[in-house]
Amino acid sequence: MKLTIDDLKKIRFFEGYSDKQLETILMMSSIKEFKVKDILFEQYDELSEVYVLLEGSLSLGISLAKEKRIHLGSIEEGQLFSWSAVFTPYISTAWVMAMAPAKVIAIDAKRLNNEIEKDCDFGFKTMSKIAQTISHRLSDTRFQLMNQMIL
Amino acid sequence: MTNTKNIYKPIKAKLTEVIDESPLIKTFVLVPEEEFSFGTGQFIELSVDGIGEAPFTPSSSPHVTDKLEVTVMKTGYVTEIMHSLKPGVYMGVRGPFGRGYPVEVFYGKEVLILGGGCGLAPIRSLLYALEHVKDNLEKVILCYGSKTPSDCIYKPLFSRLNSIEKFEAYRTVDRVEEGWDGSVGVVTTLLNKIKINLMNSIAVVCGPPIMMKFGTIRLLEMGYKDDQIYLSMEKNMSCGLGKCGHCMMGEFFVCKDGPVFTYNELRNTPDIWK
Amino acid sequence: MQYLSIKKEEWDKAIEQLLLSYIIFAAVDNEFGIDYEIVNSENIGRISYNKAKPATSLKTFFLPVKENVTSGAPLKKQRVIIGAPNCDIQGLKLLDEIYLDKDFNDIFYRERRENTILISIDCFDKQEHCHCTSYGIKPWSDADADLAMIRTGDLIVLRIISPKGQDFVNQFSLVQALRDENIISEIDKAHKKAESLLIESNKGLPDYKATGIIVKNAGDEIWKRYSARCVSCGACATICPTCTCFLLIDKPGFEKIKQLDACQYPGFERVAGGEDSLNELPRRFRNRYMCKYVWKPQKFSSIACTGCGRCIEACIGKINKNELFMELAPGRS
Repeated sequence: MKLTIDDLKKIRFFEGYSDKQLETILMMSSIKEFKVKDILFEQYDELSEVYVLLEGSLSLGISLAKEKRIHLGSIEEGQLFSWSAVFTPYISTAWVMAMAPAKVIAIDAKRLNNEIEKDCDFGFKTMSKIAQTISHRLSDTRFQLMNQMIL
Repeated sequence: MTNTKNIYKPIKAKLTEVIDESPLIKTFVLVPEEEFSFGTGQFIELSVDGIGEAPFTPSSSPHVTDKLEVTVMKTGYVTEIMHSLKPGVYMGVRGPFGRGYPVEVFYGKEVLILGGGCGLAPIRSLLYALEHVKDNLEKVILCYGSKTPSDCIYKPLFSRLNSIEKFEAYRTVDRVEEGWDGSVGVVTTLLNKIKINLMNSIAVVCGPPIMMKFGTIRLLEMGYKDDQIYLSMEKNMSCGLGKCGHCMMGEFFVCKDGPVFTYNELRNTPDIWK
Repeated sequence: MQYLSIKKEEWDKAIEQLLLSYIIFAAVDNEFGIDYEIVNSENIGRISYNKAKPATSLKTFFLPVKENVTSGAPLKKQRVIIGAPNCDIQGLKLLDEIYLDKDFNDIFYRERRENTILISIDCFDKQEHCHCTSYGIKPWSDADADLAMIRTGDLIVLRIISPKGQDFVNQFSLVQALRDENIISEIDKAHKKAESLLIESNKGLPDYKATGIIVKNAGDEIWKRYSARCVSCGACATICPTCTCFLLIDKPGFEKIKQLDACQYPGFERVAGGEDSLNELPRRFRNRYMCKYVWKPQKFSSIACTGCGRCIEACIGKINKNELFMELAPGRS
């Protein structure tokens, strides 16, 4: 399946990029598909790609010990994950597993970082979006924590 | 013209059916002995004869006038006794009280409803009211989160909503149980996947205080303005008449000025999430 | 202002006559000071004149501590209350706004209000904690009561305030218009003297609006300090002319008993889930002042503190709210 910039424009994460910037992203991306129970990556894996979920359902979690997986939450369509691939040491903070057949946009992290350095406007936009994703994840985690405390 | 109605006197309503929604939650179907109607989002004071009364927002459609449904969670003395009641007994109803959802204001707009836990009870009434006027609405989206799959009340509601034109419903749970294959996480995560036109939208938030706080913060971050967010503040309503003082939240009587407020009305009121 | 006069002995006789058609309460001198009693032929001679003030406020006559609001019958018999100071008369205005509002009109309160004739007294002295003038209230009534009553020598002077007061006085055959200018000017002089006395003894106390600002901006420390001796007895709220919070208690047969409550009691804001936002004492203590000086003024046009000072007298922990306000008043180091 070939993605076009019009497909990207429908996804909230890519709002605000110019057509040229979207073309640049397309050139460093590919589509990947996963079956139910496929592990996209494990906690502590070294990551080389940043993902945006296009279709399907993924679960994100942490492991206390091998095979003891704790599901923390779902990743919804349109959401960015594997952002650790952009920041050194590029180590994942969580594992991600497909809960239903899933389709993701996989963006090459090295090429993304190069573009961030080269094009300030692109870099600022991208970093802001990644920051917002992490901020939401933190806020949701605190919400979860407060729920647990009240119980 | 002197008003001789006694504002403290309840009308009697026969409990005709008790529906088990979850281990702690039951829905009571009541048939009032006198004519009774309410606006969606308004509340009633429901009493057990000689025991006590508690405030509830009816969960049934405001357009059904021969009966009303009230969803009761067992949380304290009065509700525990309510849970032991069997059909055939009479309960007392005072009301309706307060300012409910201004449904006409939602005409022509996309309505986003964020609900959590027991907040689904008033939301169900709102959904019925919105369904009644759906030709006047652009879209209705429900995002609902419960602690576990079995804590979700009105389970058939979600598939029914998704089959109504212009309506979408999404669910998430905090903790999975066997057999759950849907979204996991707090209800704000569902906001990532919905498609909504912010310029022409209003948001309704109803649920436990923590959920309302985080939900409102996320909606503001998304770009909703203060007057686009409608909050249902349930706070210790007692007389329902704006007199006894128990529900005061800053200068507001929740029972009279609310329970539905827009966020810009409450922005400067301290401790609204306690 | 229309003044009438009647000889005191005629006045006493007239009241005794009225006992046949009215229930009459009057502020009388007793061993502790002044308080209301039901009038009978024995205590007419002890009715108190010209001085502040009965220990009980008017609130008690309109909002009983406990009443049945489902099968209770609203008051129908006419009553007269003699001896209310202006601070209590003004306090009734807030109660009227709350209980007589157009959406939910309390028939029990309304019947009592409509069937009561209020005869206020002019205060020509003050009690230790009186501070009505600080909040813009005069120590005498020329509005909102039905009649005002002053004793001068062996004469009772009546100020007609309302049409209801006029109708009431028309029953007294021996009442005549007061034409003696000297007496009227003596009364005016005494008013000014009483006002000056009150203003002087309350110098430094911020006015109502200013108090609202300082209460709102006060930090936690002062509430902690002043509430240290509070035992949450609720006396302040009980005795206060404008505190009216209540509970509705269910009794069998869907009966409801309305009983006065106080935000000073722990558990006032406790909800079924167990949370109680006013659980901590300093917070609960502060709540009453926020309510009276900040929130009620935002909602109601009538004043929520009339400066009667009863809360200071009644407090068993000897907490004085005016000391707190003066400590926070701008201009003090």
